[in-house]
Amino acid sequence: MSKTASKPKKAVAKAKDAEASLVPIFVMGKRYEVPASLTIQKALEYAGYQLVRGCGCRGGICGACGTVYRFPGSYRIEVGLACQTVVQPEMYIAQLPFFPGNKAVYDIETLPAVGGTIAALYPEVFKCVGCGTCTRSCPMDIDVMGYISKAIQGDLTAVAQSSFDCVMCGLCAARCPAEEVQYNIGILARRLYARHLAPKAKHLAEAVKNVEGKKFDKALQELKKKDLEALKKIYKSLEIEPDMADESWTPTDKSFLGE
Amino acid sequence: MKLHYYPGCTLKEKAVALDISTREAMKRLDVELVEPEGWTCCGAEYPLTEEKIVGLAAPIRVLRQVRDEGGEVLVTTCSFCFAVLKRANKALRDDPLKRKRINAFLRDDIQIDPLTKARTTDFEDYNGEVQVLHLLEYLRDRVGTPKIKSRLKRDLKGLAVAPYYGCRLLRPQEEMAFDEPDAPRVFEDFLEAVGCSAVDYAFKQECCGSYLSVSLPDAATEASYRVLRAAQMEGARAVTVTCPLCFYNMDSRQAAIKEKFLDFSGLPVLYFTQILAWALGVDREVLGLGEHAVPADSLFEEVPTTEVRT
Repeated sequence: MSKTASKPKKAVAKAKDAEASLVPIFVMGKRYEVPASLTIQKALEYAGYQLVRGCGCRGGICGACGTVYRFPGSYRIEVGLACQTVVQPEMYIAQLPFFPGNKAVYDIETLPAVGGTIAALYPEVFKCVGCGTCTRSCPMDIDVMGYISKAIQGDLTAVAQSSFDCVMCGLCAARCPAEEVQYNIGILARRLYARHLAPKAKHLAEAVKNVEGKKFDKALQELKKKDLEALKKIYKSLEIEPDMADESWTPTDKSFLGE
Repeated sequence: MKLHYYPGCTLKEKAVALDISTREAMKRLDVELVEPEGWTCCGAEYPLTEEKIVGLAAPIRVLRQVRDEGGEVLVTTCSFCFAVLKRANKALRDDPLKRKRINAFLRDDIQIDPLTKARTTDFEDYNGEVQVLHLLEYLRDRVGTPKIKSRLKRDLKGLAVAPYYGCRLLRPQEEMAFDEPDAPRVFEDFLEAVGCSAVDYAFKQECCGSYLSVSLPDAATEASYRVLRAAQMEGARAVTVTCPLCFYNMDSRQAAIKEKFLDFSGLPVLYFTQILAWALGVDREVLGLGEHAVPADSLFEEVPTTEVRT
């Protein structure tokens, strides 16, 4: 404040506005003041960190920026994705860009889609003591302990379904006293489910058959002959499925629909 | 009526026969079994180290869930699950320090509904309110022999069956506390109630080999042989168990047993609930007999139904 005292009045007011919106955060123990509106990820960059690892899509999907934080006066470790979590005053922050969890290598084509496959590739799954820390550590609000429990019970479909939102950030594994790698168990189940158990989509097979049967070739050839302006016109007049359309929606022009 | 039932993980994959026969049998005794929401593995082993109390978290969470769903009793069939749940429950009732520590830990629980993502927090402390009963105990004390007898649909004609208690069901006595470990009756009384005759033999509480099946399979083979042979010598036509691990050792090891011990000729192993379900009129197809390594089908031949006391 003493520095600004000698500055012109207008500049002082401006600086104070800026100060008012700054919040203190602690990155790996060091204090920084950052704009209150930033996400943890942007705040780190604002503070001068160059993020090479531990940042990916910046949209809450890739799971690269798993972060743990805590507030003074609370023992509780909280979690979030750095790109999705807005800074709060006095946050103590540490990022967990990578976790060296056990990872089985397998050929999904030949892997049997039975519960025993999880047991064979990740036998440590049975070490789970049911403490529930994984569920408390999930930034995606997944019932992690619940799906590990289903993995122990050998229910692949339940594991696949209840781990579906996982972004593989690794925070569950980082905090697991049994050294489980929950996210790798989850993705194994989802792969097995998708490859071997999920009912095949009939309409997809039909669409592929139509493509292979050259159903669309003529229309494509015609499109190729059109000039840019004509293409733009067609594009603009496209009938697009409304966002919240129900399953029975069909376009007005049905000539390209499968049978 | 509805009754809380903890199947345990093994019953969901390896011992489905025990699960389905339990459900089918209890339906015929007017009991609908309901699983506590979100149950997890009980831990399989009760933590024997005084200070290592984390092993109590999982069984106590299951019991708390039963209480929060309005349940007063939780029944289970697997001997391992039963031992863990019952002992953990007693620890919470009797030991104020354990009660305090485990509740302090479980108070931070977050329960997330897998579908709606609804979060439940602020759980009430659990103080041992639920009563943990083995299904044999429930049948003896809550259903009662007269009711079981009145519902019998098949005459088992005094089929000679050897009850096998194993290690977990009755001991430690002061904790399990539902029968006399040195001269138990609960299994024998059950068999007699459903129309079998209970074979008395010396090895009914000897170990089947338990987890040695993994590290020292030969030892488990030998231990199981001793039990099976003793039962057979006393004229048993089958051995019946409550525990999936006993079942595994005594059933699937019989090929190895026969190779090693030439005096042994094979003996079917049954879950007690398969016998109960059969006696109560459940179809043979839903008893899970396909899970058996030693064929047990011949014990479940349809005989012309004789009207047993109605």
